[in-house]
Amino acid sequence: MSPVIIGFYSLLLALLAYTYFRKDGSLTKGLNRALEQIIKLVPRMMCALIAAGFIAQLLPTELIASYLGADSGLKAILIAALTGMIIPAGPVVVFTLAAILAHAGASVQALIVFITSWSIFAAHRIIIFELPLLGQSFLKLRLASVAITPFLAGVFTIVVLFLVNRL
Amino acid sequence: MAIHMAKFAKGRCLATQKLLAEGFGLSFWLFFLFAIVSGLICYYVKGRVSFEAALVRDLSLLGSAIPRIIAAVSIAGLIWAILPTEKLTHYIGRDRGVKSLIVTMVVSILTPGGPSAAYPLLAVLGVAGADRGVLVTYITGWSMLGLQRILVWDIPFMGTEFSLIRFLVCLPLPIIAGLIARKIPMKLCLNDPANRAVKT
Repeated sequence: MSPVIIGFYSLLLALLAYTYFRKDGSLTKGLNRALEQIIKLVPRMMCALIAAGFIAQLLPTELIASYLGADSGLKAILIAALTGMIIPAGPVVVFTLAAILAHAGASVQALIVFITSWSIFAAHRIIIFELPLLGQSFLKLRLASVAITPFLAGVFTIVVLFLVNRL
Repeated sequence: MAIHMAKFAKGRCLATQKLLAEGFGLSFWLFFLFAIVSGLICYYVKGRVSFEAALVRDLSLLGSAIPRIIAAVSIAGLIWAILPTEKLTHYIGRDRGVKSLIVTMVVSILTPGGPSAAYPLLAVLGVAGADRGVLVTYITGWSMLGLQRILVWDIPFMGTEFSLIRFLVCLPLPIIAGLIARKIPMKLCLNDPANRAVKT
């Protein structure tokens, strides 16, 4: 048993006990919600994880490493940001792709930029939720405010990795 | 009494069926097919040894990921159930400093579930009178740093170390985005969110 798992289950036990003694229905409410999420997520995630492993074996790793590897510097960050921006799909697709790229030798900063860029630009979410619920003017304001964040994430990562390696 | 119980059981059964239909819907079968096809291609192109190596690695990854996911999603669900949402929305709606952005970010990280949970809450924040900085920080924080997403996707797919680095690196970004939003001279007129937020 890894420490992560032990930590998770201790926290879960504490929360179960706490919500049980609150006696306000929060235990049932919370667990129902959790069950719903598990049934929605786990089956697709299992398939995606297995497929990612197979595809990682097939991909031309050198080619990807040359575009997104640690040596390609700022170019890698730019490519990663653009790729993340244009993927109109949920986490299943994106994290499968990120895991494949990681196996293929993409650098940590490129992967972080890719995931960050996807998380804020995900086109399907904009169309299904943001435009109908908040409207166009909010979308414009938000995009103008977050446009710089994937690049900041890339730069911060390079700094953090540099500091970690120095220690 | 018996009729009531039968009705309740039937309702429960329908809900379960609907849930299963969602979990094992079209997108599940597409991913299933995708896994099988990629496995077959791997077997024929790279040979049996590579195929088996990939399969063993994937299965051990799954074995460690599933108990973690079940715990993570349950934790997120329970936190969501006990979070004093109303009090927090009220507070966030009042304050105009950086502190409100920090509180907003913590709430956004703890918001479990997909966009169907986060966007209606965003609309409610808009109605409660939260300023543009808070709105941008909330949705940026949820999409970048949402705890459930990190526990379910980042850690199993990318590893604990990577997830930790990503979390730390992205931590200041929702607040930076919120501060930028407060400074940008752009018009903001929200879509009649009051009615819609109630509906969803």
